[in-house]
Amino acid sequence: MTKIHIPTPLRQYTAKQADVQVKGGTVGDALSDLTARHPDLRRHLYTEEGKLRSFVNVYLNDDDVRYLQKEATAIKDGDNISIVPSIAGGRS
Amino acid sequence: MITLELDDRYSRQVLFPGVGAEGQRRLAASSIAIVGCGATGSVLASLLARAGVGSIRIIDRDYVEPSNLQRQSLFDEVDAAESLPKAIAAVRKIAAFNSQIVVEPHVADLTPSNIVSLLEGTQVILDGTDNFETRYLINDFAVKNSLPWIYTAAVGSYGVTLNVLPGQTACLACVFPSSPKGALETCETAGILNSAVSLAASIAATEALKFLVGAVEHLRRTLLSFDVWQNDRAEIVADRPRPGCTACGRHEFPHLAGEGRPQITLCGRNSVQIHERSRPLDLAEMSERLRPHGTVRHSNFVLKFWREPYELTLFPDGRAIIKGTTDPAVARSLYARYIGT
Repeated sequence: MTKIHIPTPLRQYTAKQADVQVKGGTVGDALSDLTARHPDLRRHLYTEEGKLRSFVNVYLNDDDVRYLQKEATAIKDGDNISIVPSIAGGRS
Repeated sequence: MITLELDDRYSRQVLFPGVGAEGQRRLAASSIAIVGCGATGSVLASLLARAGVGSIRIIDRDYVEPSNLQRQSLFDEVDAAESLPKAIAAVRKIAAFNSQIVVEPHVADLTPSNIVSLLEGTQVILDGTDNFETRYLINDFAVKNSLPWIYTAAVGSYGVTLNVLPGQTACLACVFPSSPKGALETCETAGILNSAVSLAASIAATEALKFLVGAVEHLRRTLLSFDVWQNDRAEIVADRPRPGCTACGRHEFPHLAGEGRPQITLCGRNSVQIHERSRPLDLAEMSERLRPHGTVRHSNFVLKFWREPYELTLFPDGRAIIKGTTDPAVARSLYARYIGT
């Protein structure tokens, strides 16, 4: 199992859970499992074409997965994934 | 040279070993810019002005409204009643508590055409904006000129901040290659706690202080986020540029070239900003012209014109904010009818 840390602005879509345990061999699998468990989260993470939104950052432990193999990055038990959204603040 | 011995003002800060007398002298000789003076900018400006940063430029395009007073700590009810431009109100407040520094107000929208004149000569740029368009513009300018800048934002009870040290750390385009479009919350939908934005800005002000006194080894090289309501805190490593980053890797600066920049922008939940051309206006004369068409009021800095269901705010450089519509065509036609084409 892998733990995904949900930032507080997105917790309204995960029944207020801060961390969600998911299954999968890659970052992409883990995120698919996450959105299968919490379907409301899907449109906040993915475009209509099913691509990860470019302003949603996904980190495996300390590394941005864009530096690694993106969604194909392999994960192992005990890894931590974090999602970091971009925030504008104010009125935007 | 400033004789600190004669001035008690900074004595407690000079006692702090990280600053000391030398650090205080460096602060006095420093020049910074704060882009956007809302809640974040108020805290940044207040802390850094009190700390003795010698020269501060405050750039803001907006005016004070009653809904700002809950968190925008430099402003008061009189500022809101007068619809005073935030940059002007901020400079007046700062002058009342530190008259020994130079603070310049710039009532303007930061754009590709004015960014060089507004930001050149500064050592650190602090982000108090409310939108990614301006942040990418700052990022392009800062990376191109190897100037550090600090991204800060807050919404709800959540705050986030990042130090961008071009060439050394990730830049904004490394961390967020493109701006959010519609899917995320803003303060107008999710609300905002004043303590969340105050904390984010306090952290950013401390980072600026470290840079200015030369304590670069203490600069944070992570994207820090926290939630003051849920007691959550996360730090993501951002200590190197992302390979292939368009801005800091490939040195492409599309935002500086003004690409993709609309001349008319949505500005808040129910407002449109028009800044199509520079059109210097005499607000007193304009006020006389508009009087037969609705309610009008003006000061040296701003003119307000009400004609149901619209509220038009006009600045001396010809920029206008039209409240009561989100339709650029409606805003443009109101501007053409009452101000000119």
